[in-house]
Amino acid sequence: MTTVTRNTGLPLNEGVVPRKRPGLPRRFLNAIGGWTAIFTYLIMILASLFFLFPLAWMGGTSLKTIQEANGSQLNFLPAIPQWENYAKLFADETFYRSYINSIFVTALVLIGTVTSIAVVAYSFSRLQWKGRNAVFYLMLGTLMLPAQATLVPQYVLFHNLDWIRTFNPITIPGYFAGGAALIFLVRQFMLTIPKELDEAAIVDGANPLQIWWYIIMPLSRPAIATITVFLFVGQWNNLLNPLLYLQKPELYTMPVYIAQQRAITETPIPWQDIMASSVAFVVPVLIVFFLTQRYFIEGISFTGSKEG
Amino acid sequence: MRILQNRYVTILWLALAAIGSILAANAIANLVVTTTSPVVTAERYRAIIWSVGTIAFIILGSVCVGHIGEAIAGWAKLSRAEQRKVFWGVTFAAPWIIGFVIFVLGPALASLYYSLTDYKLGETPNFIGLENYRILLSGEGAHGRRFGQSMYNSFYYALVGVPLQLITALAMAMLVNQALRGMKLFRLIFYIPVILAGGAAILLAWRYMLASNGGFINVTLQALARSFFATDFLYKGFIFGVEGFNGFYSGLARGDQVGPLIYTLPALIGAVLLFLSARGDWENSKRDRAWLVAEVIGMVLIFMLFVRALITTPVDWGMVLLAGSLAIAGILLNGQRGKRGSLRAWQAFTLIGLLGVLLVILLGDTTLSWEQRLPYIIGAAIIGVPVLFSMIGPWSRAKVYALAGGLVIAVAVLFIRDFGAEFGQRTIVPVVKYVFLGTALEPSADLTWLLESFPQSLASALWLWGAVALLLGGLAIANNRWPRAQRWVAIIGAVVFALIAVGSFLDGVRYFQAIDAASQAAGSPTYHFTLFRNATAAWPGENRVPLWLSSELWSKPSLILITMWSSGAMMLIFLAALKGVSQALYEAAKVDGANRTQRFFKITLPMISPALFYNLVIAIIAALQTFDTIYILQTVDTVDSLQSAVFFLYTRTFRQLAIGQGSGVSWILAGVIVLITVIQFRYSKWVHYEV
Repeated sequence: MTTVTRNTGLPLNEGVVPRKRPGLPRRFLNAIGGWTAIFTYLIMILASLFFLFPLAWMGGTSLKTIQEANGSQLNFLPAIPQWENYAKLFADETFYRSYINSIFVTALVLIGTVTSIAVVAYSFSRLQWKGRNAVFYLMLGTLMLPAQATLVPQYVLFHNLDWIRTFNPITIPGYFAGGAALIFLVRQFMLTIPKELDEAAIVDGANPLQIWWYIIMPLSRPAIATITVFLFVGQWNNLLNPLLYLQKPELYTMPVYIAQQRAITETPIPWQDIMASSVAFVVPVLIVFFLTQRYFIEGISFTGSKEG
Repeated sequence: MRILQNRYVTILWLALAAIGSILAANAIANLVVTTTSPVVTAERYRAIIWSVGTIAFIILGSVCVGHIGEAIAGWAKLSRAEQRKVFWGVTFAAPWIIGFVIFVLGPALASLYYSLTDYKLGETPNFIGLENYRILLSGEGAHGRRFGQSMYNSFYYALVGVPLQLITALAMAMLVNQALRGMKLFRLIFYIPVILAGGAAILLAWRYMLASNGGFINVTLQALARSFFATDFLYKGFIFGVEGFNGFYSGLARGDQVGPLIYTLPALIGAVLLFLSARGDWENSKRDRAWLVAEVIGMVLIFMLFVRALITTPVDWGMVLLAGSLAIAGILLNGQRGKRGSLRAWQAFTLIGLLGVLLVILLGDTTLSWEQRLPYIIGAAIIGVPVLFSMIGPWSRAKVYALAGGLVIAVAVLFIRDFGAEFGQRTIVPVVKYVFLGTALEPSADLTWLLESFPQSLASALWLWGAVALLLGGLAIANNRWPRAQRWVAIIGAVVFALIAVGSFLDGVRYFQAIDAASQAAGSPTYHFTLFRNATAAWPGENRVPLWLSSELWSKPSLILITMWSSGAMMLIFLAALKGVSQALYEAAKVDGANRTQRFFKITLPMISPALFYNLVIAIIAALQTFDTIYILQTVDTVDSLQSAVFFLYTRTFRQLAIGQGSGVSWILAGVIVLITVIQFRYSKWVHYEV
């Protein structure tokens, strides 16, 4: 806050005839914004270490030998990187089966949820119909109801449907536009699309389905992208639901597979293997995050400013 | 063919087709699954076939629901064009509507029913009324105790964790908000933990790094501590402070007796509030805020007292009088200040509480005799009649007198009940003496007396809250008539309460010492605040390290450390708010000579208060709902000290299959969340919304 106005880009000695071009250190200092800036950068770098360290530690450990991983732990990197830790991992059937399960479940959930949310948000934003507001406020009201209130009876429901130990309890509810907050986000975005586009299409004889597909969907791409990345990260990391419903090692997704490893009792604990599988689990999320971080940041700032 | 064009026939056909598509999917899936191996491939086929079936179901079902909507629009006599619009609108909204009915509304109603039964999966449910709620709220038995513990844990996270998290996030946001190069990169780095923290992987890494013996964090901390004497002192002070605080808290959570310390908090709150009210005039905003605090504390306290009266049925009817007297004080204050909305809220709140108590006493528990019921009914009448009277017609002096009368009677009845006997024997003197000066507690060697009888005699003496209520009521009445007298009442009250606070604290220390001495003399260890005593017995030695996940003294701080590490989402919301603050405000303030601190507290903080408020609500609710972190980080020793309400729900329902009680937990949880949200919105006047 305090240095907002410091770095205006104007030279401080404006109007005075420059005597001599300052030396390199001085120019460098000016370029980055003076001593205050250096101090700020120092704090930022220390903070970054705090935020990134668990990740780096994970990566470092995954390349260690089992002795190194359980030994004096100030060694950040192994003496010789043990790449075969990863080779061993992908040769392990339980690991890659869980990995493929995770990809499979996430893909199904994403397709179903994103499409249905786009449809519902369209109805709540672009179509004018009597009773729309009542239904919309009912939907917003479900935001107040915590997910846990329905967790138990849903389990009973799926139990009665004989869905326990299948993927269905995780994939199927998504098709019904789960997530009021995400519907709200897309709806708010769709409201900003000019009304004239629909009207022109109606004059041309298009029905609402065509308008949705040919006009609204292409224009809503940023909002759709935002909820897709949110859903991706949420589903990829989701532990509770797979833990409740999958109950069978063959069906485990990655979070459950990894969570099981916390209970390993053999000594010394093979931390390098655990960390290698963790790295393999985290990498897709990190890649998606770096490619789409714009949507994350806009999405979160957006929900915060609209709901607050 | 005419009949096929009928609207209702269409609806029927569509509904049948939708159900048919699901049945077909089920049949095909079963066929494929039985002929495919291995298991995982079969299950993947099943998921795909079901997905296709579900899509067909949703499309057909949506059109069906759309037609139903159109039919309803027809009955409502909308024009033909409007009906068409309703058809399209409902059809598009139908995926959510169908899902809402199947996955939210139906289950929610079912769980409301389950919570009133002893349903276990695979058994037939028996209706048992409010038994589940009673067990959970009164902390009865092993499960009730564990639920109580989870609530204590959540309270800890809300009290200690959430402020730390908010401060971290705000500091990060302010750092990133500076107009320097590369800030986008840092923003990215600060946010990375959020997307990882939800995942099991990084939590395992934390578990590894937090290993108490040779874990990376402890090795680093020790190396830092040994490098310099001041850091060594800080390090040991940190260990000492955390262990002392958490030891005390876990003693509280276990229900250990605190003795005279029970007075300290109400007396302190009373003193501060009275002191604040003695300053300035009634229009002063600072004092308004003081009353706001009083109202929040009062509301929560009254709620807790009513709940206690509800669940410990024949035990203490004094709770009704206590809660009621505080509620009357609230009504009086708001009535005298002319705050109509608040007045109505307080009146309604009081009546609902009293009605709840009466319902449980008269209908809920049929085992009670009329003699046991009578005190509750009389108590409810003392409170309820004046409150009812105050609700009819406009606020007037008669109402003030009626309410004040009820308040005085309630407190007097309590006082006579608790101290009548001592009064008769003229032994009240030591009680008063010990409350004020902390000298009356005679060191006793009788451990049973110290741990059981003595706290019993103190517990009833919660009448101090009644005194707070009485004083507040008096202030409210004095407000309009004798402003000067009111100030003196406030000042004298503040001094008295301050004396009580100090005295009871000193006596509390003596109480702890007495238990220590008695148990040493008896040669038997006591379990009274054991962890606290062990932690604070000596300054940490050379080889002490934070035990993090392996000790119940450190498990909660570990969890808070990880939530602080992943507070990037909050940072982004703060950042968006900070960017919205106009630079002109800062420029103007600088011209007026405001320094950095002033600019922060007078401009930044009020301007970003909506974001602060939003983050606060979200963080407190999240504290109740933590699951993944606890699941990964718990060990057998620390699971009780870590678990949140949701984690308890998980173990109770899905490990022990007690659906009935689990449903009870989820409804209590839902109630608490709604209550928190409502209270926060009701008292969010400090939030500055720019119009």
